[in-house]
Parts: sequence; structure tokens; C-alpha cells
Amino acid sequence: MHTNRSNGARTPWPTRIGVTGGVLGLLLTTAACGGDDGGAAADGGTTRDDGPVTMRMSWWGSDTRHAATQELIDLYESQNEGVTIEGDFTGFADYWDRLATSTAGGDAPCLMQQDTRYVREYADRGALLDLTPYIEDGTIDTSDLDENVAETGAVEDATYAIPTGVNAFSVVIDPAAYEAAGVPVPDGSSWTWEEMVDTAAQVTQATGGEVYGMQAMGLNGGDTNFEVYAREQGEALFDENGEIGFTTETLADWWAIEKRASETGAEPPPATTVEVFNGGVDQALVATGNGASGFWWTNELPALTAGAGSELEFRQFPTEEGDGETGMYLKPAMFWAISSDCESPQEAAMLLDWLINSEDAVNIIKADRGLPVNTELRDQIAPTLDAPGQAAVAFVEEITPGLQDPPALPPQGAGEVQSILQRYTEQILFDQVSVEDAAEQFMSEVESAIA
Amino acid sequence: MSSTLDVPSRERSHDEAPGTTGRAAPRGRKWWTARLTPYLFLAPWFAGLLFITAGPIAASAYLSFTDYSLIGAPEWIGLDNFQRMFDDPRFYQSLKVTFIYVVVSVPLQLAFALFLAMILDRGLRGLALYRSVYYLPSLIGGSVAIAILWRQIFGSDGLLNGVLRFIGFENPPGWVSDPDYALGTLIILNVWTFGAPMVIFLAGLRQIPTMYYEAASLDGAGKVRQFFQVTLPLLSPIIFFNLVLQTINAFQTFTQAFIVSGGTGGPADSTLFYTLYLYQRGFGNFDMGYASALAWFLLLIVGGLTAINFFAAKYWVFYGD
Repeated sequence: MHTNRSNGARTPWPTRIGVTGGVLGLLLTTAACGGDDGGAAADGGTTRDDGPVTMRMSWWGSDTRHAATQELIDLYESQNEGVTIEGDFTGFADYWDRLATSTAGGDAPCLMQQDTRYVREYADRGALLDLTPYIEDGTIDTSDLDENVAETGAVEDATYAIPTGVNAFSVVIDPAAYEAAGVPVPDGSSWTWEEMVDTAAQVTQATGGEVYGMQAMGLNGGDTNFEVYAREQGEALFDENGEIGFTTETLADWWAIEKRASETGAEPPPATTVEVFNGGVDQALVATGNGASGFWWTNELPALTAGAGSELEFRQFPTEEGDGETGMYLKPAMFWAISSDCESPQEAAMLLDWLINSEDAVNIIKADRGLPVNTELRDQIAPTLDAPGQAAVAFVEEITPGLQDPPALPPQGAGEVQSILQRYTEQILFDQVSVEDAAEQFMSEVESAIA
Repeated sequence: MSSTLDVPSRERSHDEAPGTTGRAAPRGRKWWTARLTPYLFLAPWFAGLLFITAGPIAASAYLSFTDYSLIGAPEWIGLDNFQRMFDDPRFYQSLKVTFIYVVVSVPLQLAFALFLAMILDRGLRGLALYRSVYYLPSLIGGSVAIAILWRQIFGSDGLLNGVLRFIGFENPPGWVSDPDYALGTLIILNVWTFGAPMVIFLAGLRQIPTMYYEAASLDGAGKVRQFFQVTLPLLSPIIFFNLVLQTINAFQTFTQAFIVSGGTGGPADSTLFYTLYLYQRGFGNFDMGYASALAWFLLLIVGGLTAINFFAAKYWVFYGD
């Protein structure tokens, strides 16, 4: 900005500052709006050979996971010069808001933790990179991955996501709570749904409501919980074509179990149930010593045990017949996927491979993202896990022969199912709707969600 | 808009500044700079208005006519989103919750604010302190921290129930986890943030000349009569102002419900505020087109109610002269 000093009528300072400020303001906001155009380069995109590479990596989880993942990032950066990874993490619920908005802005993280419910949501809309070429050229090695789940990130001929590990949705019980109440500790291989509710009600009664027998099934992992029940009946939440795979009768039957559990006092009163659920794993009845059983993922046992003060055990799901033929399945705990906007997909693929296949990485993260999907490394770290971690390994091994195949990736809109199920469960518990009406309405709401 | 118009004129004033000779008189130049300066200072704000407010508003107007998943490209579907609202039970539920909230909490909040303003208006010592203390909830009431605290206090085993049990209530309800009470609890939270209207009422009360009260009391009017015959009519423009403002505010309530229900609007949709539902559709369910349509419908509702408010004002607001 050149001004002629001799000119008496030079622009006054305030104006000049105003001009500069104004232009700056304009520039800044324009820049903020511009974002990046997200033009994904062909082939491998930019790699470390082209100069320093910076990638964003996102995940959801607990504090333990954040710390462990940061450790992973530090280690990878030290082993791979020229690669910088920016970590981006939140809790589960906020994660999806954030991922959706950053994807919309063309600014999705290169490597993202994904969930079964959302893989197709993103893949079908072209937001995820097809990993097939990287698997074929060996960048991502899938040879040691657990066969049960290795293919679970595939949609038709493309693979959009690689599982991080496996876990199973199961019943977690506190044997001491049953014993203290003078109720026989349930035997997972033969118990029925009726027995589960009855014994739970006895626990509540015997302890005068100090300890509740069970925690609500419609809230806790509700959609997975129902999926296991539907599969026991030979149905499914969604079939292979992504259509609804269950009948209203099955859903109504399942809710009737819940209703009975609530009415017989097997479960806490509805308001308490809602609060316990909102408190997450930390406030779980079995974790606070206020409950005898609940439905949890096998990788949640360490967190549950931390608060419990007594030894918790896994049980298989109850069945209708008491024949132990449950609908349980080994589930890919979560996935890694690469954004189609990523500018250095080759680098992201190498990082992904390292996260699942390197001993260093698995030694750090252990079983936090599920029992490691690389079976060789899983066996290797198993003895190093803490007691609850080892219990999870043992339980998964024990039940694996009887498990069903994991379900295909659910259709777009599947992410809504849990919240719809939760809402109707609450309405049922608070006597606002009958189980039959709820089942009908649930059906039509899910139909329009996945349409 | 004005910021884009500024740019060329700003350039011009600069180009002229150094080398111009007799033609543009210094007076003219000063006149220009004097006129321009404020706008230049305002330019960052205008830029913000344009890009951060007006841009998204225009975008959402367009998106409301599209099917937009956030991830894919928007697809024009005309009025489908607006038609869909009328078949959407949760849309009605969110309207019901929001209307109950507005209709109950706004009058309560204003009454409470006026009540406290009148107490403070009696020339207490340390008035400034009281005013600040009472204003505090307004500053922090909408914050996440307070909503979390609220959830703790009103939990089944929270502070409130602890007190209730201590004084002999056997089974106090879960104030935020029982659908019969959750909305009421949020209404109380809103009433508690009475500070802003209270301060405005206080200023309004100061404006009422004491001679009216003197005259009224000479005529034998008691305190109650004075309140209804002097205070209320003379304060009515202020009441009206607060009413309009708080109504609009209440329609936009989001944070408290989001935190207290963990973003679900639960239990059983009993705290499903309109804005919360809008948020769920847009960011949780990949339904940004429908969410945009909901946002514009809310604008219509709030605009319509404000218009009604202004219309009704003719019959009860007294402007003195």
C-alpha cells in the first residue's frame, strides 16, 4: 500500500486499517468456505516419495482407546519418515454427525473407523474407496484375517472396509449376585428366555430391589440384541438383499419378553432403566454391582469388570427351547475404511495394513477394537491380556463352533434402527403402546428408513 | 450484498488518494472516506453475514426442495419434503412438545422475571449485586455444563430426590427419565433463566414516573390495584418486547433437550423438540433435505406467531400517548 508522504490528503489510518481488515475478513471467510475440492488423485495419489504426507485418521471410543491410538500414531510416524497423521476422535454418537458433515464438506478423514451399520450408508454413496486393488497388489494383506469376518466389509464385488477385530454379543452375568440371592447361577448351554426372566425376577425379589436381575434388552445393544433373537428363530434383522428379514410376530414376542421382565421386576422400573442405559457401560447394572445380568459385547468385559468388584462371566444367549442353539454370531467389532476423497490412498492403505497386521500395532491396541482380526496375532497376544480380556478370548473360542455366520452389511438407513427400537421400547416400558402395535409401527418406520 | 458493492469503491478511493491533482477536491475525498470508513470497518461483519449466515440460509432454502443425504449430491424433488411432514408422526410429536414448552414456559418465565424485577425495584441495597446474581442463570442456562448438572440434580438418585426422600417422599419420580415429567423439568430449567427479561423489566419499571403511583394511592388504590392499573399498562410495551423475544427463543431451544436426553428426545420422545428432531434428521439420519424443509417450516411458524403477536398487541399494549 503505497502512499505519497508529501500528499497532504493521504488516506487516514483508520480507513487504511479498515480496508485491510475488510479485505482480510473477506479473504478469510472465503478461504474457510472453500475447503478443499477433494479431488482424489488417481492411482496411489501422493505418497511419501513426493514429499511429506499428512493424513487424517478418525475413530470413536473411550479414553483408553484414544490413548492407545495416539500411541499407535506416534509409533507409525517414527517408523515412517515423511508421514504425519492427525488423529480425530469423539464418542460414538457425535462421531457420525461429524463424519457426515466432514464428508459433505469434501474433508473426510483419510482413514476412518467404521461400523457395520454405516458402511453401506457411505459406500453406496461413493464416499468410500474400493480397497480391492490394494488387496490384490498386496498393500493390504488379508491372508491371516479371521475367515468368519474377513469378507464382512464387502458389497458385491468391492471391499470397502476391513474389520479391526471380532467380538460377540453375549450375556454377562455376575454369579455372586445370583448366589447371594439364593438363586441357581444360570447355565448358558440350556437356559430359556423364560428362565432368564424368572431367575432375574427372583434375584430382584430376594434382594428387595437392591440388585436387579437383568437390564433392558431393547435399549442395551437393542438392535443387535433383537438380531440375535431373530436369528434364533431362523429370521434376521435384514436379509442378504438388505430387506427387512423378520416378522412382526417375532418382534412382538421379543418385546413381550421385555415387557414381562419389566412387570415382574426382573428389570428396574422404566425410569431407572432409561437412566442406566444413558450412563453407558460405566453405569451398567453389572458394573455398579446393582445387577445380576445384562447384554454386552465381549470386548466390553474389561470396562464392566473395572467397576463390578466381583468376577463377571459370559453366558450364551438363552433360547426358546433351551437347546443352546442361539442366534449368536461373531461380529466384526468395527472396520477401517478409506475415504474416496483421500489424497494419498496408497499411504492410507499402508497404514491400514500396519494397524491390523503388524505385531507392534496389535501389541499396543490389544483387544480394544475387538479380538484382533489377524488370527495369528490374536493367539500371540491372548496370554498378555488381563483376566477379562482372556475370558473374552476363551469365551469366543468356546462358542465359535456353534456360531452363525455374521450377517451381510445392512442397507442404508440401518443406523436409524437402534434409535427407533429404543424409542418403541421406552414407549412399551412406560405403557404407552402395546407390543403388537409397537411391532407394526416399528416395521413401517424401518421400512421408510431404509427405502 | 453491501460488502461486494464496497469493493470497487474502496479501490477507487485508494487509486485516487496518491496522485490526483486539482479535479477531485480534497473536500470531496474527505466526504468519500468519511462515508466509507464505517462500512470498511463493518466489512468483516458483512462478510460473515454473507458467507456464514446468508449463504447457508440460501443453501438451506434450496436444499429444502431436494433429497440430500449430506454424502451424495442433492437431488431436486420439489415439494415432496413439505408433503412428507404431514405424514410424519414424529413431526407432529415435535410440534406438540415444542408448543407445550413455549406456551407454558414463556408466560411462567416472564411472570417470574417481572416478580423479581419488582422486588429488586424497591431500592434494595446492593442492587447491582442482586441484579448480577439473578442474571447469572441466563448467561449459563443454555450451556452444556448446566444441562449436564441439571441431569444429575434431577436424576432418580439425584440431589432433588435425595432431598425429597429425606423429607419423607417414598418414591419420587425420575424427573428427566420419566416421560410424564421430563418436559416439565426442561420447562423449569427455562423459567430459571429469567435474567434477561428481568433486567429489561427492571429498566422498564424505572421508567414509570412515581407520580402515577402517588396519584393512585391518593385516590385510595392499594398495591394490587396499583399493579394492575398503573404498572401493567405502563409496562406493557416492555412485556410485549419480552414476550416476542422469549417466544422466538423458546422455539429454538436445543441444547438443554439435546444434553438431557442424550440427543434422542427421549424418554419415549417426550422431549423431542422441533430443533432436536430437525437435527436428528439432518445429521443423524442423512436426511438434510428434509431437515432443511423442517427449518423453513419452523421459520414460517415463528414468523406467523410473531405476526399474530404484533397484531394482538394493538389490543393490550399501551404506548402512553
